[in-house]
Amino acid sequence: MSEITIYHYLFLGLALFVIGIAGSIISKHVIKVLISIEFILTGVNINFITFASYCDCPKFNGYITALFYMAIGALELAVAIYIFYLMYSKKQSENIEKYGDL
Amino acid sequence: MNGIENPIVFYPAAIAMILCGILTIRFKNIMHSLLAAIAVFFLAGMFFYVLGSEYNAIIQIAIYGVAVPVILGLGIMFTNLKNSYRAEDKNKTPVMKYLIILTCGIFILAIIYLLMTSYVILPDSFSYALPDETNSREVINSFASGIFIRYVWGFELVSIILTIIAAGLTMFKKRGGV
Repeated sequence: MSEITIYHYLFLGLALFVIGIAGSIISKHVIKVLISIEFILTGVNINFITFASYCDCPKFNGYITALFYMAIGALELAVAIYIFYLMYSKKQSENIEKYGDL
Repeated sequence: MNGIENPIVFYPAAIAMILCGILTIRFKNIMHSLLAAIAVFFLAGMFFYVLGSEYNAIIQIAIYGVAVPVILGLGIMFTNLKNSYRAEDKNKTPVMKYLIILTCGIFILAIIYLLMTSYVILPDSFSYALPDETNSREVINSFASGIFIRYVWGFELVSIILTIIAAGLTMFKKRGGV
């Protein structure tokens, strides 16, 4: 079995990114869409950290950017859940198709 | 051979991660989806650790593995699960859709890879890049200089914007905007 190279990690990040895109397009449930968006961010973070580990030794910009994205992703999710809660109290449905007038 | 280059660590964890990701969007029960998503976030934290970024791994597990599922669980608790099952039963999506989108993603990856290698867009050193050897002190130093010196204004700006958003949402709710 061959050794693991940078491309393996990049492919893993891309696979997670594609799963996130597919989930956010296909899912009808609002929470599932939010989870899929988090998958997209996690896929991007894997790529950032891979590049930082393989190519960016002195500065580690990738690590810091990934940290930045994690914080923003978590806060964005909190805000999105809050908006969902406000909308759900009015619509009484978690089907995303009913949120067209947001 | 260290963890970063070890196929015994990489392949099972990568397969489990992709499988859990697909299951997250395939499960009908939203709680099962959430559990699969937690597995994905934990495995992502493991990959960060393997890649040499312990700090990111800890943050990933603390925020995405613990805090985010709690918020999502609270969000799910507000909803009526029985109605959501009925809605999903009515709007069944065929498996082919998932397969087509995933296959398209893999093809796009293959095309990008072929273009990059055939036109030699990548520098020579990149194709044979080896993981950099660092110690944890060096990583912490770089984090500290990045957060508190190089990107300090970016972090401050983002924190101010997020505070404004939180305050704005509270005001929105009080005025009955939605």
